[in-house]
Amino acid sequence: MLIARRVALGASFLALGFVAACGESSTAPGGETELISRVTITFTPVGGGAPITAYIDDPDGNGPQAPSAQVGALSLVAAGSYTGTVKFENRLSNPIEDITEEVLEEANEHRVYYAVAGALAPTGLALTTTDRDPQGRPLGVAFAALVGATAGGQSGNLRVVLCHYDDAPKVGTSTSCQGETDIDVTFAVSARN
Amino acid sequence: MGWPVAVRAQLRHLHGTLTHAETNTPLDDAEVSVVWAIGRGQQQRRTRSDATGRFDFRDLPAQPVRLTIRRLGFRPLERTVDLTRDDVVLTLTLTEAPVQLAGVTIQADTVVEALERVAAVSTLDREALNATRGQTLGETIKHLPGVSVIQLGPSIAKPVIRGLNSQRVLVMNGGLRQEDQQWGTEHAPNLDSFDADAITVVRGAATVLYGPDALGGVVRVDHAMVADTGRARGELAFNTFTNSRQGALSFSVQGGGLTLPGVGRTGYRVRVSSRLAGNAATPDYFLSNTGFRELNGSATFGVQRAWGTSELALSHFGTELGVLRQAHAGNFNDLQRAMSTAPRDSAFSYDIGRPNQRVSHTAARWRTTLETASRGEIDLVYGLQFNDRREYDNHGPLRFRNTPAFHLRLFTNSLDARWKHPSWRGLTGTVGTTVMQQGNQTIGKAFLIPGFDLYQGAVFGQEEWSRDRLTVTAGARGDIFQQTTIAFADAGIRSPAGTKSWSGFAGSVGASWRFSDAWQSSVRVARAWRPPTVNERYAQGVHHGSAQYELGQANLRAERSLGVEAGLRYVGTTRSLDVAVYDNTVRDFIYLQPRDPVVTLRGTFPAFNYAQTRARLRGVEVAARWSPVERLELQATGTMVRGTNRATAQPLFDMPADRALLQARVNGRRAALGAWHLGLGSVLVRRQDGVPEGTIYTLPTAGYALLQIEAGTTAARLFRQPIDVSLSVTNALDTRYRDYLSRYRLFVNDPGRDVVMRVRVPIGS
Repeated sequence: MLIARRVALGASFLALGFVAACGESSTAPGGETELISRVTITFTPVGGGAPITAYIDDPDGNGPQAPSAQVGALSLVAAGSYTGTVKFENRLSNPIEDITEEVLEEANEHRVYYAVAGALAPTGLALTTTDRDPQGRPLGVAFAALVGATAGGQSGNLRVVLCHYDDAPKVGTSTSCQGETDIDVTFAVSARN
Repeated sequence: MGWPVAVRAQLRHLHGTLTHAETNTPLDDAEVSVVWAIGRGQQQRRTRSDATGRFDFRDLPAQPVRLTIRRLGFRPLERTVDLTRDDVVLTLTLTEAPVQLAGVTIQADTVVEALERVAAVSTLDREALNATRGQTLGETIKHLPGVSVIQLGPSIAKPVIRGLNSQRVLVMNGGLRQEDQQWGTEHAPNLDSFDADAITVVRGAATVLYGPDALGGVVRVDHAMVADTGRARGELAFNTFTNSRQGALSFSVQGGGLTLPGVGRTGYRVRVSSRLAGNAATPDYFLSNTGFRELNGSATFGVQRAWGTSELALSHFGTELGVLRQAHAGNFNDLQRAMSTAPRDSAFSYDIGRPNQRVSHTAARWRTTLETASRGEIDLVYGLQFNDRREYDNHGPLRFRNTPAFHLRLFTNSLDARWKHPSWRGLTGTVGTTVMQQGNQTIGKAFLIPGFDLYQGAVFGQEEWSRDRLTVTAGARGDIFQQTTIAFADAGIRSPAGTKSWSGFAGSVGASWRFSDAWQSSVRVARAWRPPTVNERYAQGVHHGSAQYELGQANLRAERSLGVEAGLRYVGTTRSLDVAVYDNTVRDFIYLQPRDPVVTLRGTFPAFNYAQTRARLRGVEVAARWSPVERLELQATGTMVRGTNRATAQPLFDMPADRALLQARVNGRRAALGAWHLGLGSVLVRRQDGVPEGTIYTLPTAGYALLQIEAGTTAARLFRQPIDVSLSVTNALDTRYRDYLSRYRLFVNDPGRDVVMRVRVPIGS
């Protein structure tokens, strides 16, 4: 009898446990990651004229599908001088988030690096970072670009790397990312006469 | 570390025969146990009398031991047997009476003792555990034959048994399956190693008794039973580790005589423990962000009555641990750069920064054993577990940095019922059933695995039959699983809702043959299976520790294994030998198969699909002991595993390198010093070159040798207070090395010299 009572007690304890843990399962990540789904680069001629712009999209964000092809051609003029900006956006959220704002807010932890490869390297296209973080180190969201006088007809690649520093110190004179890579995309670029 | 296996200078043999006092017939199936004192503690061994009434203990210490014999329907028999001078043979009689219980013991699983005769099983007793106190569960068992660990520095150590880990190795804590997101190789078992009174490792499939998770083996942590009588006594233990400047502290109090309303006389044990460590040190540099802090508590209440025993245990485990910063990569370029640059010589610090994990495990375990004179023993274990895992990283805007990247909450309810039936026509055994319900929540910033509901039900039985020198065991089990995943979709990730069921059969047959008093051999065939886990089916995303992109396959089939193993055992007075060989074929073995890299705006990631193949795992384990003269003990263990993907004829990833452990130890006893010992040992690990091609994660590692020194004493007296003290030095020569199973091996060396001091002070008695 005693045993029966104890078993009954146990059963009710058990039932309580089952109720307590039921109906709670969920998949609800908050999605508050620094997801960047589009990188846009813009070159504005210093002497005036229409800005030249191109972007690359990744419609599934960090998903397994590869990013889209480059939209817009970066066709610069030989011996031309440009000011430029890069823009990072999450177009998969609604409304669209401008992640560039985050990068500017956390300028001390970020740096955008540009590297030119192909026939335009090393003298056909030169990019210089023009903005600084609060500690006076280059940031790279804004840049100046000079196209070589004899670069007409050449083409190459422009690699844009958004680097994130947490552990590794951000060093102003560094020429490549020594932190964690947030973005690594390559645009096709060409120079005409 | 300490010496994993208890070592004694002189070993004795105690055997005897049991007969019925009235009828003079032999009595089988009596539970025979011996208990002896070690320092201030006790050590226990159990066996059962065979069909001829015979029982047998080899390898006992040369000192007085307490022998207890219990058999259902008979009056228990207790007596002290003095083994100081010689082996002892006894002829004993039992008289019929209803059973009475004496609550003294570690509440171990009697069914495993049957398994022990045919499978490869090793146990770390209290003495051996005292030599490794303050370390993680993985570190504690890693020198047992057939066992190795996947490590992320000193804070995460994941047990590997015969080359298998994670969802293929079950951790049982006090009769409860530990459900703590064990599928992740960087998820260490969430339990307090101070709380263990015995740890048993079963190598090879033990799915009949433990369920599909035990396909590779079982790590079973057992606790001493709480006695409901006796005075209050306590224990204080503390350790210091020089390498990571770690301190560990455990304080426990236990006693009987508590009177609870509605329950009556109750025993209790309360324990609080904590560990705090900073950055670990290699011979040349500190490992940045590898500290951890842990705070655990448990309270256990137990009663012993005429009907049996019942225990309620409440426990909480909480840890925060850092993950090596250098091993955290944004993309594949970062990873390659981290591999090729010199490790950063970070300063020592106790601070834990990003990336890090905060994990807690809270459990209630209620275990009741009903003992009846004629109808056997019923064992009921109900468990409620809540596991909360938060993993933080450096990604994302600052204002969300304190939101975990991954946050998983797992609720588990389980009920296990076992009936150990009385001997029937020479058969002894256990039948049982298990039901489990599980719910998982995925919150945090990013998707890792979906939320799910899981239900499991099982029935099983295991029987043993013996005659003369032969023992035969056979077991069978059926399981049903149903898993419902909860849908998730954002721009990049689509994880569908779905319900899937699996069912399967596991079985094992084994036999052991005793050639002589000293030699015994065994053979066992086991068939096991397990359903795919949720990460294998639905994982989607980047592992920042390895910058590898993992993609689950929703339609994976269940994994099925068929293994054969054989063992040979010799136990003499001064020598012992234990050899095990096995050959295990796994159909539909689930593994990560390299595929085309995944390209995103963040860069390129080497990618892996969960895929299935036919795998084969073979291996040998040897453990030998020799005491050439009294006081001197020599020990050697060796482990070798070969895993092959039979479809590609390539080795499997994550197979431990061949290793051997050699030890020599001198023991003695002096009035003021207590039982002292001095030891010297070496861990020898061969180069791991059996690696699959095609990915950098599997690059071979070089062999290494480590020297270890230990000195200690138990029951020394300090200011009239008994005290156990030991000092050990691991990696005494500060050798630079990288173990193949270290997850940091692509970046940094393993930790260097560590001087460990352990002190244990019993309070009251």
